[in-house]
Amino acid sequence: MGAAGSKLEKALGDQFPEGERYFGLENFGNTCYCNSVLQALYFCVPFRDQLLDYYASNKSVGDEDNLLACLADLFTQISSQKKKTGVIAPKRFVQRLKKQNELFRSYMHQDAHEFLNFLLNEIVDTLEKEAQATKNDQETSSPAEKTANGPKNAHANGGPKEQLDTWVHKNFQGILTNETRCLRCETVTARDETFFDLSLDIEQNSSITSCLKNFSSTETLNAEDKFFCDKCCSLQEAQKRMKIKKPPQILVIHLKRFKYIEQLGRYKKLSYRVVFPLELKLSNTVEDADSEYSLFAVVVHVGSGPNHGHYVSLVKSHNHWLFFDDENVEMIDESAVQTFFGSAQEYSSNTDHGYILFYERLGNGHMS
Amino acid sequence: MINSANGMASAQASSSSLANAPSPGLKTYFKTPEGRYKLHYEKGHPSGLMHYVQGKTVTQATLAHLKDRPSPPTPPSQSSSGFSASSGVRSAAARLLGGSNGSRALSFVGGNGGSKSVSASSRLGSLGISSSSNSTSTANFDGRGTYLIFNMGDGIFISDLNSQDKEPMKAIYFNNVYPVCHAFDQDAKEGHDLVIGLSTGDVYSVSLRQQLQDSGKKLIGAQHYNKDGSVNSSRCICVAWVPGGDGAFVVAHTDGNLYVYEKSKDGAGDSSFPAIKDQTQFSVAHARYSKSNPIARWHICQGSINSLAFSTDGAYLAAVGRDGYLRVFDYSKEQLICGGKSYYGALLCCAWSLDGKYILAGGEDDLVQVWSMEERKVVAWGEGHNSWVSGVAFDSYWSPPNADDTGEAVMYRFGSVGQDTQLLLWDLELDEIVVPLRRPPGGSPTFSTGSQSAHWDSTPPVGILQPAPSMRDVPKLSPLVAHRVHTEPLSGLIFTQESVLTVCREGHTKVWMRPGVAESQASNVETVLSTSLKDKPPSTKVNYSGQAMTGTNGGFFHGGRIFGH
Repeated sequence: MGAAGSKLEKALGDQFPEGERYFGLENFGNTCYCNSVLQALYFCVPFRDQLLDYYASNKSVGDEDNLLACLADLFTQISSQKKKTGVIAPKRFVQRLKKQNELFRSYMHQDAHEFLNFLLNEIVDTLEKEAQATKNDQETSSPAEKTANGPKNAHANGGPKEQLDTWVHKNFQGILTNETRCLRCETVTARDETFFDLSLDIEQNSSITSCLKNFSSTETLNAEDKFFCDKCCSLQEAQKRMKIKKPPQILVIHLKRFKYIEQLGRYKKLSYRVVFPLELKLSNTVEDADSEYSLFAVVVHVGSGPNHGHYVSLVKSHNHWLFFDDENVEMIDESAVQTFFGSAQEYSSNTDHGYILFYERLGNGHMS
Repeated sequence: MINSANGMASAQASSSSLANAPSPGLKTYFKTPEGRYKLHYEKGHPSGLMHYVQGKTVTQATLAHLKDRPSPPTPPSQSSSGFSASSGVRSAAARLLGGSNGSRALSFVGGNGGSKSVSASSRLGSLGISSSSNSTSTANFDGRGTYLIFNMGDGIFISDLNSQDKEPMKAIYFNNVYPVCHAFDQDAKEGHDLVIGLSTGDVYSVSLRQQLQDSGKKLIGAQHYNKDGSVNSSRCICVAWVPGGDGAFVVAHTDGNLYVYEKSKDGAGDSSFPAIKDQTQFSVAHARYSKSNPIARWHICQGSINSLAFSTDGAYLAAVGRDGYLRVFDYSKEQLICGGKSYYGALLCCAWSLDGKYILAGGEDDLVQVWSMEERKVVAWGEGHNSWVSGVAFDSYWSPPNADDTGEAVMYRFGSVGQDTQLLLWDLELDEIVVPLRRPPGGSPTFSTGSQSAHWDSTPPVGILQPAPSMRDVPKLSPLVAHRVHTEPLSGLIFTQESVLTVCREGHTKVWMRPGVAESQASNVETVLSTSLKDKPPSTKVNYSGQAMTGTNGGFFHGGRIFGH
């Protein structure tokens, strides 16, 4: 471990970024899904900075027993290490996670994307509860609503319901708008939904650009799937399209590599080759097109099936790419990122596939 | 839809079974307005190639046409009267126009650009004919013909393009180092004509003919440059001969540097260049000693150069790279003329039009960019690929079907291939492009809003790189044809007079015959080859290729730029 650390320090030499820490995370038995996501979040600099600020300004956090507190504690531990490299055991965090979510543990496979989702929503919950406790005077009718997971938080005609805008929202939240055009009266009904990440269907030998295009492609509602038009007051044929109304600061893209195959009665991993560029622009936006994103982290699933396997992550920090595999941290060349695109053939020895991509919006002074 | 990996599980189940459909569903033809392109045959690497070398390199392909030597006797099946009439026009014109400097006589034919030193190739290469004579040409090297050179793993392979043999006739292995790029000098009158760049940065030049005459599996008679990466140890990425450059060639590396070599000089001459002061700026340094080889270093960009292409007259060099910029240089003046950024992401390939007026570039934004040299900006974006664009080329053998009627209207045909395994063909009609530029598409009030829009009204000054244009400001093209040609991501395409070649990353090439080619050959070469064409059905088609040739050349020769100095 020490040797590996010094090797990384040697590789970076005097280019080792001032004040930066590169620490591997110990694996407590199948916790690589957790470690890979934690590294990606740690190197999401605006998120990390805000989490560290939160920890510093809430001294009592250290004693609290929730995931937010445990994460803030872990990040603070890493960033305040005297050594520049090494290994840390995220023991408290993992214990808390296991305690909090038995359901999560009982899943067939521990999915890094579900973990990320769960974690962000837990943090939002905690922050909202804390904010409510301080406000104290307001009687809210509904409890803090999760901003993610499904259409339950969708609100007809209009912006998202007024909610507390936490720093998690500021970083990760975007707004999708679901535009439905009635083919009879041409009225366009727009329904907004918030998201923390985009889950994209993938195709063999495609690009993220193309997957995003498909995500926003026009769908015709007809036959048994007609649309109830408020203006016509009846079911009508309609065209539906999902566009990005507000692009998030941090764009998280989840590739649906695990698909339920009905004939087999189980999940199957799709090893498709899906290329992702280091820079990206969203073409499926309502306005505000042409804003550029830069890739800064990739969570990689290693393995041929959904039920077993391993997670590692690639992270860009100060213009260097690093490879995190639990305890191990290595420097890699930017060109090595392309070895994680997937395989053009179904059966291939290459089983390391990009699974969650983290892009940061450029031009706002938050470059990592 | 949002955030949930499993919420859509049932909906996905049906589509995933479709997406997993087996690959053998590839069609062996595709339709265009002028007729069907048919898969004629495939070229591959030797079947015994080690699996572990796959993925180490991406296959590039080069066509090499070895011309007649005065000495060897002419085999009957390839007699000179076998040239198609159209080729005759072309060669005659070339001789005429290139007469003042002999070495450029054929330089205009390399219009397919990219890294591929593509030759016109086809003065002899009527594929329909050779299918009857290939047994002799592979068994007995006669020192002429058209050859397909490609790299795969640690080997360079050479196939006779006119033979239907899938396996190459020649393999050269480099053992644990990887040849990654190569170029053939169609104009070389003497000495070496094939240059090969390696993953180690090393560069070799050889005589292709000499390799073909040798029966071994090693490179022979090679000149070795940048030995053990002494000048630059980063991977070679692209090599190109300077058209009319008297044996000069350039080698681009992944660290953003390009070196100019002269084959006449000894490779051993040591060159050292000063440190690069600013990685982001273009700079040229010359070797201090006249014996040095390389003779110059061009620092082009930060990050890798991905592809190079000389204009057919050798006056301009286009380079694309990791930083997403297309840069165009005046080669002899060593000056940046113009350039601009992709929509986003790296650019991976580029190619010139035969007349030097347009450059195609493709890359990680899935777009095919058409750059105008006159306007010094992007004039169109081709939308149609579902993944990165890895190869682009103008079809310089094509002309509009009714070229005589359209008068002054200029049209171009070009092709692109991508990592989506598709070949796309496009028509570029200038009227369609120029008009929308002056009036932004869709009639939206883009003049007032975007700062970008202003630059579409005027031609940018010389030597300035353009930022990425806004999506709404660039007119879009749709492909004429989109055809899935391979099961693997593609890496390049080459147009020849008779066919389109598509090359995949894993070393396979497919030859797609143009519509009506076999028929037109029949009418042109009937006297000589009537016996070999007996089995072909008589055709009522017009002589497509002949018409194309005269039409195209007529237009381009008056462009003035190709032989302008």
